[in-house]
Amino acid sequence: MLALQVLINGILLGGLYGLMALGMSLIWGVMNIVNIAHGALIMLGAYVTFWLFTLWGWDPFVSLPATIALLFVYGYCLQRFLLNLIVRAQLFLTLLITFGVEVVMVNLVRIFWSSDLRQVTPTYAGANFAVGAITIPYVRLWVFVTTAILSVLFLLVLEKTRLGRAIRATSEELRAARLTGIPVAHIYAVTFGLGAALAGAAGGLWGMLFPITPIMGGALTLKSFVVAVLGGLGTMMGAIVGGLVLGLAESFTATYLGPTYPNAISFGLLVLILILRPTGIVGRRA
Amino acid sequence: MRLPSRRVPTVAGALVVAALALAPWGLSPFLVQFLINLFMLAALAESWNIIGGFTGYASFGNVAFFGIGAYTTAVLLTAAAWPFALALPAGGLLAMAFAGLIGMPILRLKGHYFAIATLGVAETMREIVYNLKITGGGTGLTMPITRSPLPFFYLMLAILVAATLVNWWLSASRFGYGLIAIREDEDAAMAMGINTALYKTAAFALSGAFAGLVGGVFAYWITFIDPEGVFRVIVTIQMIIMAVFGGMGTVVGPLLGALVLASVSELLSTQLVSLAELFNGLIVILVVLFMPKGLAEVISKREFSLKKLARNLREYGV
Amino acid sequence: MGRRAMGQWSLVAVIALGLMARPALGADEIVLGSAISQTGKYAREGKFYVDAYTLTVDAINKAGGVKVGGKPYKLALKLYDDQSDPNLSVRLFTRLVTSDKVNFLLGPYSSGITIPASAVSEKYEVPMVQGGGASGKIFDRGYKYIFGTLPKAEFYFQAAIEAAAKFTPRVQTAALLYSNEAFDRSVADGARQWLKEQKIDKVYDEEYQPSTQDFTSVLAVLKSKSPDLVLVAGHEENALNFIRQAQAADMAPKMMVFTVGPPTADFRKTLGKAAEYVFGITPWLPDMDVGGEIFKSARDFAKQFQERFGYEADYHVASGAADVLVYKAAIEKAQSLDAKKVREALAAVDVETLYGRVKFEPTGQIAMGQVLVQVQEGKLVPVYAFGKMLAKPAYPAPKWSMRK
Repeated sequence: MLALQVLINGILLGGLYGLMALGMSLIWGVMNIVNIAHGALIMLGAYVTFWLFTLWGWDPFVSLPATIALLFVYGYCLQRFLLNLIVRAQLFLTLLITFGVEVVMVNLVRIFWSSDLRQVTPTYAGANFAVGAITIPYVRLWVFVTTAILSVLFLLVLEKTRLGRAIRATSEELRAARLTGIPVAHIYAVTFGLGAALAGAAGGLWGMLFPITPIMGGALTLKSFVVAVLGGLGTMMGAIVGGLVLGLAESFTATYLGPTYPNAISFGLLVLILILRPTGIVGRRA
Repeated sequence: MRLPSRRVPTVAGALVVAALALAPWGLSPFLVQFLINLFMLAALAESWNIIGGFTGYASFGNVAFFGIGAYTTAVLLTAAAWPFALALPAGGLLAMAFAGLIGMPILRLKGHYFAIATLGVAETMREIVYNLKITGGGTGLTMPITRSPLPFFYLMLAILVAATLVNWWLSASRFGYGLIAIREDEDAAMAMGINTALYKTAAFALSGAFAGLVGGVFAYWITFIDPEGVFRVIVTIQMIIMAVFGGMGTVVGPLLGALVLASVSELLSTQLVSLAELFNGLIVILVVLFMPKGLAEVISKREFSLKKLARNLREYGV
Repeated sequence: MGRRAMGQWSLVAVIALGLMARPALGADEIVLGSAISQTGKYAREGKFYVDAYTLTVDAINKAGGVKVGGKPYKLALKLYDDQSDPNLSVRLFTRLVTSDKVNFLLGPYSSGITIPASAVSEKYEVPMVQGGGASGKIFDRGYKYIFGTLPKAEFYFQAAIEAAAKFTPRVQTAALLYSNEAFDRSVADGARQWLKEQKIDKVYDEEYQPSTQDFTSVLAVLKSKSPDLVLVAGHEENALNFIRQAQAADMAPKMMVFTVGPPTADFRKTLGKAAEYVFGITPWLPDMDVGGEIFKSARDFAKQFQERFGYEADYHVASGAADVLVYKAAIEKAQSLDAKKVREALAAVDVETLYGRVKFEPTGQIAMGQVLVQVQEGKLVPVYAFGKMLAKPAYPAPKWSMRK
């Protein structure tokens, strides 16, 4: 029954990975910005959830909408007032600037909130239930359910709403979008805001499972890359599929090969996918 | 290899190198250490310039070659008891071979995909080194101690000079023009009959060779290496930002960039202790916003007005 | 050259000049220099040492300073931030020795940084006393100028395993999980030996990366093997993650021991009730019966520290304080500020302090016992040390669902 437990573990965590990568995939797909500060946004979301929980006792699931809203505003401003300035520069310059943003964000957090380990611990933190020989922690299950709900909501917004259509139009053909009167600068900012909001939500959920530190973002940015590329850059379904694939891969390698292998496997997968099928598992061939 | 004959820069360059070679006798031991680090960063920036500046393929994983050079040299020094004079070139060779091999599939990718793939390669290398027994895994490797910094000073200087000379040769050779053609318009270059795959891979291998040599000297200099300390993304970022700041695709750009940024960083890390990292990040943002074309162009074109700045932003912004 | 460009080159020149500027050293001062992790992944532990050094230096100065040749000298600190980067650490220590010309060196935090940093002190023949690195690798290179106040990593789990063999019901099987770093590997090497000595069956022996946050797979395997004793070597973040996830996975071995975590107040506060029954290891406790010249007792030190910095001192802090105190003892013994003479004095030092008895083995590492402690009802209780049971252990730990 070990294998079944490992499978369940992989799926539960994989869902969260998918949510994490969704934001990155959106920003990458629409604006061709590879956001190295993505992990820092996740970290910020985790801290917001932490402070709301610690200072005012808000349950982390309940405070999620607040985290989402705050991160949206932050992301919107970041894009509107900084990133929009260089969005059509050479690709790697955008990479560099988001790297700079990451360093600034991490260090500001460290200066103001210190490097102490933080954790969000509602009373139901360790509770779990058993299904036969399988143990399922409640928090992980609810996190998975929440990521599913948020992902579906987001996909609906992108497909069905006018905003979503504007975003997709801007990503496909910038000049045409401009000609039809779409305020590109604003749409870009909204897109980044959405990406940041998703990252923030993922951060809030992550903070319920793992300790929060200013430097937690680096590894999560890399993981999000792997997931986004695995699934197929710019495709939202791809992020979710990629997340599940990564979650399962990590779970099985850690159990059957040893705890030091999951990272090697994920990065190796990244390189392999890029060489063999750059459009990812779900992506269409360009 | 025929070097371009430009008399003034040649004489000036030779003078600078001669002055630096005499430096250890005039400067404090601390400045000697600072210069070794500066030569290392400048050599790395010059090596990145080959693939990133001239060829236009912005690799985000060059630290992988640095690390392979470092570890190869270290393992040969400690486990196989090779003399350093053999271990170092072996490190450079292995890094070059690896760059050539991995370059073949990876250079087929473009833009972001290439950047992410190279990043993935660097991360994978670190993980592999973590899991191998021969590299000491997470425990790392300890080198025998060398009391004098002089051998490292001259070695790093020599590697820097070599890397700069290669860049100089690229700036006026057929191979170099081929790389620039690939950067400007790869399809046109192919149509002109340039074997782009070969050129790109060769550039990548050259870039890796120098990074590997620097890594080998670094390992011996710092006496202790471990995967976390060697395969760091920030090293690649430093290479890139120095080349960009100074002017990528130029010969002296990376040198200038390394000189200015390494000095500022050193000053910050002593005077403003815990704010150093924060300022490093701000510098990166400011450089990208205000001087993406680099210091070399700013100086040579003598323009740094707000008007030019506004023009830049309109070109890049939305 | 355009005016702007000239401005830029002037800036470069100013920076270069700034680098060469050296601070004037006070006349009757002994300067202790160090590069310590104030930012980066070791920032939390680094702060312990900064605060410890500061408090101790101030206390010594208030008590009259260090007397050499009849003259009182004030102690001063010169601290840099190594950003948790071994490369930067090496350059900063080199700067401390060659440019700032400090008298002596205090160590950084973590074995990984101490190993290259101590190569600098050895190269320039300036003593370094450090309290943040315990790996044997620091001391097995035959260096003469490095001293350490943390006990040998290989012995960390000895007390725990000895005690486990004495508990009833006796521990039969054990699992060993350790981080892929110098310190933790040394701990694991030692642990294997102790397990063999106590005839406890090792059913699981795996390495993990220090950056690992998710132990659910490891826990799934452990659950299927049900060891009585689980030994985890790693940093505080690893311990926190492991315990939370063990609770979520409903894995409760009879006994769980961690190398880092339980003795630190931050750890117990963060985990709350989940920290109950967990065992930890520390060479120092605030209510130990130890004391010295400057801090009359461990309790006295702990009180002063809490008052000044607002958090509880743990063994990292005490170790850092001891480093400064041992310099006072050695300098006064040598009656000289000469590096070689002080090194001799350090090698022969034997002094009682708030941290305990400080005496270095020929390798330069302190020989000190560890105490097995357990979190019982929110308090840290010393359970076993030096072959003796000090208190009743809360053993075996009940299943998670049965806990209050």
